[in-house]
Amino acid sequence: MDILHSLFYGFSICIQPDNLLFCFVGVLVGTLVGVLPGIGPIGAISILLPATFRMSPISAIIMLAGIYYGAMYGGSTTSILVNIPGEAASVVTCLDGYEMAKKGKAGSALGMAAFGSFIAGTLGLIGLVLFAAPLAAFGLKFGPPEYFGVILLGLSLVTYLSHGSVIKAIMMAAVGLILSCIGLDHIQASPRMTFNVMQLWDGIDMVPLAMGLFGVSEILVSVEEAAKPEILKTKIRNLFPTMADWMKAKGAIARGSILGFFMGVLPGGGATIASLLSYSVEKRISKEPETFGKGAIEGVAGPEAANNSATAGAFVPFLTLGIPPNVLMAVLFGALVMHGIRPGPFLLVKHPDVFWGLVSSMYVGNVMLLILNIPLIPLWVQVLRIPYRILFPLILLFCVIGSYSLKNSNFDVLVMITFGIIGYLFRKFDYEGAPLILAFVLGPILELNLRQSLILSKGDFSVFFVRPISAVAICVALLLLILPLVSFLVRLAKERSAGA
Amino acid sequence: MKLDVLSGIFWLVMAILVCMESARVDVGSFKSPGPGFLPFVAALILGGFGIVLVINAVLKKTRQDSTTNLWKGLGWHKVIIILASLIAYAILLPSVGYLVLTFALMLLLFGIIERPRFWVRLVTALITVLATYLVFYMWLNVQLPKGLIDF
Repeated sequence: MDILHSLFYGFSICIQPDNLLFCFVGVLVGTLVGVLPGIGPIGAISILLPATFRMSPISAIIMLAGIYYGAMYGGSTTSILVNIPGEAASVVTCLDGYEMAKKGKAGSALGMAAFGSFIAGTLGLIGLVLFAAPLAAFGLKFGPPEYFGVILLGLSLVTYLSHGSVIKAIMMAAVGLILSCIGLDHIQASPRMTFNVMQLWDGIDMVPLAMGLFGVSEILVSVEEAAKPEILKTKIRNLFPTMADWMKAKGAIARGSILGFFMGVLPGGGATIASLLSYSVEKRISKEPETFGKGAIEGVAGPEAANNSATAGAFVPFLTLGIPPNVLMAVLFGALVMHGIRPGPFLLVKHPDVFWGLVSSMYVGNVMLLILNIPLIPLWVQVLRIPYRILFPLILLFCVIGSYSLKNSNFDVLVMITFGIIGYLFRKFDYEGAPLILAFVLGPILELNLRQSLILSKGDFSVFFVRPISAVAICVALLLLILPLVSFLVRLAKERSAGA
Repeated sequence: MKLDVLSGIFWLVMAILVCMESARVDVGSFKSPGPGFLPFVAALILGGFGIVLVINAVLKKTRQDSTTNLWKGLGWHKVIIILASLIAYAILLPSVGYLVLTFALMLLLFGIIERPRFWVRLVTALITVLATYLVFYMWLNVQLPKGLIDF
């Protein structure tokens, strides 16, 4: 009953006209960003973040969250019609979605993606509501050693589950920690790595860093490659899936929803891994696995359900423990802190309006997305026809305005450009930006909890190992960090014995 | 030189520089970490794994791209133009102002990938500047620099 009362309270906040408007703007921008290759939800959130400073914290987080799950809906449109994923979590939808479109079933694919996402989003929100309160209560037992351990574990998991080289991911996390230390030390106020540049005393701002690393670098790579996507010339009809489609896809949607939710909760998991896993599971358990890759509707329904459910799951550790499980949540974390609200176990107690208003808005947002995505698909197809030569200067301009407007300083624009160059070089040399930005956001909290723990224990390092939660978390984190070293040493020994 | 060897050496040098800077601000000890503690430990991890990366790359028998191949056949000159124009934009923005400088930037960038007729670029740049001015300055109250034109 408590949960129901809280939900009604949340709905009373989210249906206020300004919150409804910002929810709509968020999901619309999110869908647009998901449809358009070249800019993802991280870039979009970073660009719009400065514009939210004049809003209330609830309106701001409702809009920014709307961009996140809206992008999951929009990403499937380009995957199905153009065979280019609008964003990373829709990569696997290309495999069967585009094949369905080639066979004249684009409408069924698009419709199933939208409905599957809606059902999964709803189930994910139910999971969020059920898990949030008990996890928040558990989080109240956390002290500085537990926070240090869990954050270290989260960073280790993100690097271990990275798409590319684990060694490079660990290095990027280390770079993120170093970058987070630039500026005045939080405890003694000593300037660190500021090189007598006054603008660095406050440290590097997350917004220009994220915009440069993800937004500007993506544009530089796209302009350099000058790929011109071809939109499939097919009539889009019958957007409502048939009964036969539902019978085939219902299991995939259910499994994708559950799998996606738990992958979203897991640090380092997230929508992309959830969709990939869902596709693998569906192909493995299917009675007709040979149909996958040739237009199997389960290959669209499962991953799309998984990626949307993962977005709800990701909010669980973010809101209840204050630990962002992936890059996007890290950016949202920074956004909430800028508005003076700290996610964590006390969020439910100190700011129940933010928590329940956000959760309720996610359901309202999912309804809006279903309404936006089904009849407006022909409009999104027209959006895809906007030439990239017009699109990329606009995106760059939005990035510049977004960076400038933080402190009315061109220094932040230069920071954005610098990280744009760095992100571009990362793509060339095959490094990932995700571990860097996660470590950058979590670095100050990690350091604060480390130093607080040692102050409380009067310098006794065993404080981390006598408390069970921090002990388990730190041991698993160290194991994940040591594993790549061990496999490297084993490989080195094999090379030596082969050479001998 | 293999890419991973080059990047590994780069990160190793960065790690050494960060260690030196961390030592300057006082690393402290495990019992009493100073301001330089976290960057020092992070730099050790970065440098250590940088060495692992270099050795891994040297031992790998598969051929890897050299740095020249990274840009082969690609429009890297467009990237340089974009970056140079953005840097100039950032430096001149406070003095020249948003309206004039953004118009010039858009005029340039709209012709980077393809080259439509000049009047098309002119009109598109003008519409972009006016629309963004309306949205960001008038509606969202972003304080864009006035520069040469007082608005």
